[in-house]
This record gives sequence, C-alpha cells and structure tokens, in this order.
Amino acid sequence: MKSLSIEHLQKTYFDPFANRQVTAIRDISLAVEAGDFVAVVGPSGCGKTTMLNLIAGFLAPTGGQIRVDGRAVSGPGPDRGVVFQSFALFPWRTVLDNVAFGPKMRGVAKARRHEIAREYLALAGLAHAAERYPNELSGGMQQRVGVVRALANQPDVLLMDEPFASVDAQTRMTLQEELTRIWEQRRPTVVFITHDVNEAVFLANRVVVLSHGAVLDDIRVDLPRPRAWDALIEDARFKALAAQVLQQVRSA
Amino acid sequence: MNTAVVSVSRWQRVWGAYLRWTARHPALASLVPFVPVVALWAAVAGAGVFPPAFFPAPIAVVQKFGTLMANGILPAYLEDSVVRLAAGTALGLALGIPLGLLIGLSDRAHRALWPLLLFFQAIGDIAWLPILLIWFGFGLTTMTFVIVYTVLFPVVLNTVLGVRSVPLELHRAALSLGASKTRAVWEVVLPGALPNIMTGLRNGLGFGWRALIAAEIIVGTSGIGFLMFDARRAGSVVEILLGMIVLGVLWYVVDSWVLAPIERATGQRWGLITRHD
Repeated sequence: MKSLSIEHLQKTYFDPFANRQVTAIRDISLAVEAGDFVAVVGPSGCGKTTMLNLIAGFLAPTGGQIRVDGRAVSGPGPDRGVVFQSFALFPWRTVLDNVAFGPKMRGVAKARRHEIAREYLALAGLAHAAERYPNELSGGMQQRVGVVRALANQPDVLLMDEPFASVDAQTRMTLQEELTRIWEQRRPTVVFITHDVNEAVFLANRVVVLSHGAVLDDIRVDLPRPRAWDALIEDARFKALAAQVLQQVRSA
Repeated sequence: MNTAVVSVSRWQRVWGAYLRWTARHPALASLVPFVPVVALWAAVAGAGVFPPAFFPAPIAVVQKFGTLMANGILPAYLEDSVVRLAAGTALGLALGIPLGLLIGLSDRAHRALWPLLLFFQAIGDIAWLPILLIWFGFGLTTMTFVIVYTVLFPVVLNTVLGVRSVPLELHRAALSLGASKTRAVWEVVLPGALPNIMTGLRNGLGFGWRALIAAEIIVGTSGIGFLMFDARRAGSVVEILLGMIVLGVLWYVVDSWVLAPIERATGQRWGLITRHD
C-alpha cells in the first residue's frame, strides 16, 4: 500500500529582484510504502526542505501532484505530522497540553486527550515532564516532545525536517536510537530530511539522494533492527552504505 | 603562609543588613529611595526660605490628605478618574487588539490601514480636544474619546508587532496538527503576541492616564485632574502637590498590582520575556 506518492513534483519561485524564475524542485517522483522509513539527503539547496514543505502543504507546487493515502494534498492537515528543526513547541502550553494539541483540534474531550498525551509521553520517557513548560526543558527533551506531539496525532505520514540538527552530538545519538525504537513499536510512515549521511543510513530503510531538485539515487538500507550506535559504528555494512551515500551526495 | 584577614567595613555591614532587610520586605525597598527626597523637601520647607502657602511642608500635604479623605472628596474624585481610565482602557483594548490582529495578519489590511494609523497617531490626544469640545461639549463623551484614542494606538501598533514576531513554525505546527486558520489565530497568534500586547497596554495606560488628567483639567467637573486645577484657582499649592503625589502612587499601584502579575503569569512564565528584578 502506498502511503505517500509524489508525481512529477515541480516548484519554481519568482525572484522579483533578479526578475527571473528560480527552480527549487525540477522533477521529483517518489512513492513511500505505508510503515516505511525514508531518509532524504542532499547538499544545501538541493530542494529537500522545499520538498518537505510541499508535502506538508505549507507551500503549493507549481507542477505535479502529492497524494497521501490516495487524497491529493492542498494545504496543511493532520494527516501529515511535522517535526521541525526549531522544535516549534507552543511556549504557553505545558508539555502535556502541547502533546494533547492535535487531539484537542479533533475535538477529543479533555480527560481522553490527556490520557492519549500521557501514553505517548511515556513512550519517550517523558512522563515526569508532563506539567512543565517547554522553556524549562533541554533542547533534546524539547525535541522528544516535538516528535511525540506529532505522533500522538496519528498521522498517515510523519515529516521530519532536520529534527536533530540543533542538539549536541551525544544527545543526537540518543535521540536517533530512541526514534528507531519508537518507529519499530509504532511503525509510522516517516520522511526524514537530513544533511547527515550517517544519520540517514542509521535511521532509514531507504535513503533518497536529491540533487538540483531531482532524485539522483535511491538506496535501500537493509541493516538489521533494532539498530544501536555501539554496534553499527564499526559495522562493515553500515560503513559501506554510508560511504556509498556520501559519494552520491558529494557528486550531487 | 599569607593570612590576609579581610575586615568587613562598617559600610559593608550596613549595606549587608539593608540588603537582607529589603529581601525580607520587598515593598519597603521601593519606599526607601523616597526617604531622602522627602527629607530634602521637609528641610527646604522648614528653612523658611519660601512662604508656606507657596512651598508647603510634607506634613501639610499629609494633613490635607487626611481632610480630603475624611470629607469624601478625594475618594470620590479618585473613583471617578479610575473608572474613566478603566472604561476607556477596556474599550481601547476591545477595539485595538482585533484591529492589530487584522493588520498584523492581513497584508491588504496592513497596506490600507497602516498609513492612516501613523497619521492619526501623530495627532495627539490633546490636539483633538478643541474639535471634541465643539462636537460633544464638556462631558463624559469627550473624555472617553480622548482616553480610548490614546490607549488605542499603542495597543494596535504593539499587537501588529507581536503578531509579526510569532515564529512561522509555530503557526505551521498548529495547522499541521489540525487547527483551522481561525483556530490558529486563537491558539497561536494571540498568545504569541501577548507579551507585545501587554507592552501596548502598559504604554496605553501610561499615556491614557496622562491624557485623562489633561482632559479633566480642561473638561472635568470631577477627578484628580479637576482637583488639581480647581486647587490652582483657589491658590492651594498643598492640594496641587497632593494631586501630583496621588498620580504617582496610583501608577505604582496599577503597575505592581495589575500589570506585573499578568506579565509574571504569561510571558515570563513561558520564557518569552526574560525577568529582571
């Protein structure tokens, strides 16, 4: 079953100062199976963030089509959960109410949505932080809340835009391991944007390499799960795959 | 071995005792700076350089305060002024916040209304009084207009600023979690703009309070501004000074009992504004 299908996606901007059209996405077609984990890598300016914003519905494409679970995307919606690099937690809501926000918008009663939120917070080991405000948490904990908030809304596709780029290296590895664990438990469909090749190979089943607004390569990662950095960091197959992806990214 | 004994000076002892004392009673810390001011005032008045009717002593003002409280004039005037300010501010907020949201969110509204806003902001509250007196006469309508007008602009301008400072990602997060566009205004734009709206309210109240006193001086038949101007007619410097002190104290009360608690419970709690004690 296809959860997300992108057909001949195109996005150009008009630059009024240069007085010309700028192409961000030239032609991208991509199909993502339900429950799959796809990482999208590429150098700066390859169009990966634009692609995510198009899938999320924050931007409108100038050509082609995006379908989620068969329905054409025409704007932002709860079928596509987004995890932002800047976390984007609501500072005026407690952790619990941040996670309960999606269910609240669906009209779920307060007791029930808090129950849902607590269940998902426990999944990321955040039960103790439920009553705190985001500014009282570390960056790593804020992004755990960001991931859990998107998951608690049970989207068809989880879109992650360089979510771990702004936390320190050790926290990043922990978050990556937690994400693979949660993914194995819940099996959401994930599109994960990153410029970190190791991160892409560690997390994903498929790594898509973008270059100049088009798909350059699509590499299957059949490393066994559960994945942990201690085991993989010296693993020959991991290193070979990472080298292969890196080579593609650098040639992009 | 070097055994440097650092002795604590008498001044350090006194200063330390003062810091510990004001930490226990924070309200007193804001009163202490007034002690030398009042002492100087009392000394100058006591020296007898100026006649008491021209430059009265602090004690005379305190006595006047007692008299005016006892005969009910001061409470009644104070109530009139505060009620006018509160009503005018409430109306100013009710008009200003929605207008600010509209201009902050809609590019078209911004283009259409922003130049008008800047133009009318420049015509200060008092500059409206001549025409308002002709249109509405010496009454409550004129005073209310002046206060609402004065409160409105800082609220609108700061709300616009607040709306535009809400991070794009927060808005997008709300939409992708299922909020409608209208719902996102309520859930994200309004709380995100709240610290700026509070700044607008603070400025608006400050300007509004001044405008009210000015309006009462010209238009009024009651209120603190009227009290002061009436005292001038009677040549009572004591009453004028009392009015001035009441104005200062009242602002302090509004700030520390109304504005500061709201700011502590919202923007500071959320980490949107840093606290400075």
